[in-house]
Amino acid sequence: MSRSAKKGPYVDEKLYFKVQRQAESGARTPIKTWARSCTIVPEFVGVTFQIHNGRSFQELFVTEDMVGHKLGEFAPTRTFRGHTNKKEGIRSGR
Amino acid sequence: MPRIAGIDVPDKKKIYFALQYIHGVGEKYAADILTEASINPETRANQLTEQDIANINSIIDSSYIVEGALRRQVGQNIQRLKDIRAYRGERHRRGLPVRGQRTRCNARTRKGRKKTVAGKKGIKG
Repeated sequence: MSRSAKKGPYVDEKLYFKVQRQAESGARTPIKTWARSCTIVPEFVGVTFQIHNGRSFQELFVTEDMVGHKLGEFAPTRTFRGHTNKKEGIRSGR
Repeated sequence: MPRIAGIDVPDKKKIYFALQYIHGVGEKYAADILTEASINPETRANQLTEQDIANINSIIDSSYIVEGALRRQVGQNIQRLKDIRAYRGERHRRGLPVRGQRTRCNARTRKGRKKTVAGKKGIKG
């Protein structure tokens, strides 16, 4: 079920302030974050994030199309390299 | 056969059901359209006057997205998800369920016919 409209989108406050501070100073360094559940708001457009996926940080440059999605949607948490190829006994695919 | 919204030609059925042959028109929209055009939903499709059909057509044109336009819109929405590399786009690309359903078993609508893997159930070596 989707979130109640009354509450508005969930935005991680610390992250939001960090983005604002960066906008003021004009710095362009990527922001490291663990806040995967944070909604991407229009203010985030043009900012580069490094989103934690449980193991490493995935770099993401936010574009206008991504507004309304969550940060976590762009940092996959699972690795699937395809099933074992029985004949060769090794992993096939990528 | 009446032509409504491009090429659709439902006939002999009550207009309320005939309209639902249009991609993008279901029970609710069919009822809405007929109320707006003030046509009795029980009338058979082939007993509508030219005037009625023109009326229905103009209502659909002005306020509903149907057929090709709707298919294009849906396709664009999916393409958008793929382009921004979102999780949901990735699921669409791989032909797996998009909304978090299990895939250990079932999920056959998305995955297509069963592809049997030889020796899957046997003892893993």
